[in-house]
Amino acid sequence: MSSRFRLGFDIGGTFTDFVMIDAVSGQAHLNKRLTTPDDPSRAVIEGLGELLGRIGASGADIEIPVHATTLITNALIERRGAKTALLTTQGFRDILELGHEARYDVFDLHLPRSQPLVPRQLRFEVTERLDKNGDVLISLDEEAVRRIGWEMRQAGIEAVGVAFLHAYRNGAHEERAAAILREMLPDATVCISSAVAPEIREYERTSTTVANAYVQPITKTYLNQISGRLAAIACARQLFLMLSSGGLASVHTAIDYPIRLLESGPSAGMLAALHYSRLIGIESMVTFDMGGTTAKVGLIKDRQPEKSNTFEFGRVARFRKGSGLPVKVPMIELIEIGAGGGSIARVDDLGLLKVGPHSASSIPGPACYGRGGEQPTVTDANLVLGYLSPDYFLGGAMRLDPEASRRALQEKLGRALGLSAEDCARGIFQVVNESMLSAMKVHIAERGEDPRKFYLFAFGGAGPAHAYELARALHMKGVIVPPGAGTSSAMGLVTAPVSCDLAKSFVTRLNAVELDDIRSVFDGMAKEGLAMLVSAGVARDDPQVATIHSMDLRYKGQGHEVTVKVPGGAMSRASLDAIAEEFHGVHQQKYSHAHRHLPIELVTCRTSVAAPAPDLPASREAAHCGPVGQAIKQHREVFFGEAGGYLSTPVYDRYRLGAGASFAGPAIVEERECTLVIGPSGHVRIDATGTIFIDLAVAETERRSVGAAEAIAS
Amino acid sequence: MTSRALARQPDPGAQQEHVQEIDPIALQIQWSRLVSIMEEVDIALVRTSFSTIVGESRDFAVILLDAQARSIAQSEMSSPAFTCSLPGMTRTLLKEFPPETLAPGDVLITNDPWLCHGHLPDICLVVPIFGRSGPVAYIAMAAHVSDIGGRMDEFDSRDLYEEGLQIPPAKLYEGGKRNALLYRIIETNIRFSTEVIGDIEAMVGAARIGSARYADLIADYGEPALALLASTILTRSEEAMRRAIGRIPAGRYGCDITVDGYNSPNRIVTGIEARGDSLHVDFSGTDPQRTDGAVNCVMNVTHAEVLLALKSSLTTEIPNNEGLFAPITSFAPEGCILNATRPAPVKSRTMTSIGITQTIFGALAQVLPESVQAGSASFFSVKCRGSYADGERFGVYMLPAGGRGASLGTDGAAATPFPSNGMITPVEIFENRSPVLFLERSMKTDSGGAGEFRGGLAQTIRLTVLGDETALVTLRPDKVKYPAKGLLGGADGAPGRVTLDGQPVPIKPLVLARGQELRLDLPGGAGFGDPRKRDRSLVKQDLDLGLISPEVARNDYGYEE
Repeated sequence: MSSRFRLGFDIGGTFTDFVMIDAVSGQAHLNKRLTTPDDPSRAVIEGLGELLGRIGASGADIEIPVHATTLITNALIERRGAKTALLTTQGFRDILELGHEARYDVFDLHLPRSQPLVPRQLRFEVTERLDKNGDVLISLDEEAVRRIGWEMRQAGIEAVGVAFLHAYRNGAHEERAAAILREMLPDATVCISSAVAPEIREYERTSTTVANAYVQPITKTYLNQISGRLAAIACARQLFLMLSSGGLASVHTAIDYPIRLLESGPSAGMLAALHYSRLIGIESMVTFDMGGTTAKVGLIKDRQPEKSNTFEFGRVARFRKGSGLPVKVPMIELIEIGAGGGSIARVDDLGLLKVGPHSASSIPGPACYGRGGEQPTVTDANLVLGYLSPDYFLGGAMRLDPEASRRALQEKLGRALGLSAEDCARGIFQVVNESMLSAMKVHIAERGEDPRKFYLFAFGGAGPAHAYELARALHMKGVIVPPGAGTSSAMGLVTAPVSCDLAKSFVTRLNAVELDDIRSVFDGMAKEGLAMLVSAGVARDDPQVATIHSMDLRYKGQGHEVTVKVPGGAMSRASLDAIAEEFHGVHQQKYSHAHRHLPIELVTCRTSVAAPAPDLPASREAAHCGPVGQAIKQHREVFFGEAGGYLSTPVYDRYRLGAGASFAGPAIVEERECTLVIGPSGHVRIDATGTIFIDLAVAETERRSVGAAEAIAS
Repeated sequence: MTSRALARQPDPGAQQEHVQEIDPIALQIQWSRLVSIMEEVDIALVRTSFSTIVGESRDFAVILLDAQARSIAQSEMSSPAFTCSLPGMTRTLLKEFPPETLAPGDVLITNDPWLCHGHLPDICLVVPIFGRSGPVAYIAMAAHVSDIGGRMDEFDSRDLYEEGLQIPPAKLYEGGKRNALLYRIIETNIRFSTEVIGDIEAMVGAARIGSARYADLIADYGEPALALLASTILTRSEEAMRRAIGRIPAGRYGCDITVDGYNSPNRIVTGIEARGDSLHVDFSGTDPQRTDGAVNCVMNVTHAEVLLALKSSLTTEIPNNEGLFAPITSFAPEGCILNATRPAPVKSRTMTSIGITQTIFGALAQVLPESVQAGSASFFSVKCRGSYADGERFGVYMLPAGGRGASLGTDGAAATPFPSNGMITPVEIFENRSPVLFLERSMKTDSGGAGEFRGGLAQTIRLTVLGDETALVTLRPDKVKYPAKGLLGGADGAPGRVTLDGQPVPIKPLVLARGQELRLDLPGGAGFGDPRKRDRSLVKQDLDLGLISPEVARNDYGYEE
């Protein structure tokens, strides 16, 4: 049988990860190679060859190859994109640099600012103007566009972004200008704001268009190269790219809208979580992915990841909102926290212990790596607290030095704080957990949700070591750790559906909407979305293709919008009433008040078109045989806050635990790429898919009464 | 949870309050939880607000106070001057409504300029948070609403009564029940009441969210631990500020500055006395309050600006709280323009208060050049109001910023406000809410003051009206006569300017119609240090980007190609 594997490969900064999943048996095969930055496709071909060899398959057996890459993110951060020019409406070329005007720190007198991707001398203006309805006030000066095109050619421009005022309502001027520029600059790529991000607010739309233009040429070269390499090993299938929205797109779409690939790696992690949520039958959960430098938290509700429509890249002050450049792209919503295994701890001016956001990275790394790192990190703390084994890091491939950790803790922190190395380690663990907890609480609460309803789905190298404490502090149901949690992001690639998200701003009063106008906006986006799916090989009449419309609404006069789903079926007056009702309800739930007497304003229409996710069978974990005690490798002293000290704790070998195994905490479960920490009030069980559940038995009396809090507030 | 275990560890001395101490780890964790509550309150207010002043311009603050009404935390982006005046306002309100008389569900309100932040559009709320036996904390917030009634112009009121509705200290909600009469009074006295009431409701909703979160915190740590947390935050912060003041050699440092004012300029005279571990700012000699322009500043605002300047200079990194303020006092003679007496007109007090941070930085420049900033340009206030042909009214508001002042090692940012903070309303949003059409928004060459570190560029905005409607435009320009001052050899920023069809216009509300063009040239930020010492490659870069002209490069920077 041929063509039975789905292939996923993710090129990260350090490693290129591969997963091949057998579409018939559901069995997954993994591989990992060092990334080859000079030519990333080399590691792909070598690693893939190795993997195919191991399972006795060939390139022709690959049904669908899916790729995620940090290329776009890195090109934007490291400013390695094309020489890019911007064309704007006369009088507005500086929109890109003036931005929002606000300072992201109110007290700092030496505040650095992100520089725009296009410097001022490459920002051009042309006479043209639309009004807020998209009607032409001043027609496009085509001669001027030609002159500018010539100037751009002289300047050696490789990519152009075109962003005119109110182009979200009417793209005709942008399209005409782009056509002329393409004639004048046949070797350059040209993109327009009405196609890249047709949403109101000129700064965000221009910034998105420019970022898209900036990475377009390198994306084109790169994707053509990778496709060629795959063809060379007899994989004739079309390559798909993972989008930041969690969907898949063809190479063609990816080259048109490379900005939609931003952060596709983290999105893949979320899709892996989604895959497991289907397998284990848990439809809603909070996801927690903690690696070396950052932690990412997301929310899956009713098998749908939460989405957002904006992102900020290249923050000059790490993790400070407002210090980067905005892009409007559909994204799986993840909050990023500057907390990972490598996060460095220090004592600040007030004598307080701070952890992160600076990371020791892989070089020199935490003190315990013994590679010259002298700063104490989260990993050092976890080692001293007994969470990590000095002898089984990366499956024993690397030995950790607890004495080096103790020394760093004592010298860099203990002396200043008047605490022992162990106390400092406890402090680091608590402080880093607290910064993740704060972010999680705000994130969950902002969505009008209650953490007690959810399990915490933990993955990434450090996630399963911290998840238990976080889940406990939030009174959650427990923790779920999938098989191979240390590398599970790549699984998301092979389980993703082909999909497309589109948006178009259309500002009007909801009750004054012309039904024909709104139908044509939604139908237009549905058609465009379906065309993209068809170009990616989905059958035009596939009955399983789902189209979901939504609207960004606000009370007239408000500055921010809330996204509300549009009910299925034909758009009618009745459906508008239902949408209004839904909006009042969401507003009430999120913000504890609604204004039913006020008119509602529609700002942006959104459409998502998706083929179904591949129906992969679950691979079954062999049933556990014999007493679980046989899986215990050793006992070691492990610190648990709830016990107020160190407990002698059994360490289980993950590979000797089968389906149905079950035991009580405290416990440590070790896998090659990560370690699970389970405290005394956790209970472990392994289900038929090999997923580990840590259930938290929380007595009802301990669960906080929400009612009490509301009584105080109302 | 371990942190709780640490905080509650049975300590032999725990019974005696004076020896109680919180360990540094628990302190860090609990402190960050307080700030995170206020971040959530902040987000809720922004997302549900109606006016662009709150939602886009961020002219508001949300703070958390302890049982004694001392501020202990705020959202990071809270408008800084508000955070300095809110604690005093809360304590005054609590004199009027003593804590023991308050009930859960009460919301206190006032906009009294002498209690709050110096003019009527700043509405302040206080919400008590209840513990077992009474209020254990308070959330206080102030927000600038888009209308408060009164005159349409910015400057011509002759006393406070002309400036709009005064809300004396009152209960907006009593035991969770809306004060219907007060709401009706507010609605009746203001324009755009839907927006303003919407903003007030957004404030109440946000405060409720904060109260519920604080109740969670009480459940986690208990009331005594939180009381200890508050006093520890205050003590630690106070000690840090005292140490920082210690870096200033004892002595008196002076600086005078002239601000545009309205009909005629006003002089601010500042003397800073550094006294080892405390600091006193004396404004004796400052011009008297005015009767011919609403540019008077109340003492609350004056002191808040002093605190803001010193916090920025001396303890940038420490999350803002009242402990930082304890070592700082200020004095302005009663009846002077920085300590105006009731019922002086105060609507445009920013025209005067904006000079305070600048004069403090000017005074400290001599001893702490690394901790100050050259003069920042002001923002202009631009309001456009009117009716569409179908009778529907519009009212839109924008606060475009001038250039920021440079500091040692940092060029000033273009079009960035200081000391206020806020986002500009996008052109596309503004046009969607009014018949106004923008013709230009661009950076203005040569407007940043020359210096080793260059002042931030100003922007030029040109606008007109589309269609048959007209817009009544109310403007508040600044630094038209007295530009932002350079420091330590840096040049002043360019002055601002307002013209209608090329002609300078008086500062009066004007009617803008189709075919007319209103042009606003914002003022530029000032330079820091001698321009001839500026890195030559940076001068060339500024020249290439068109930020400076060849003439300025040659004449001011001494640059030869």
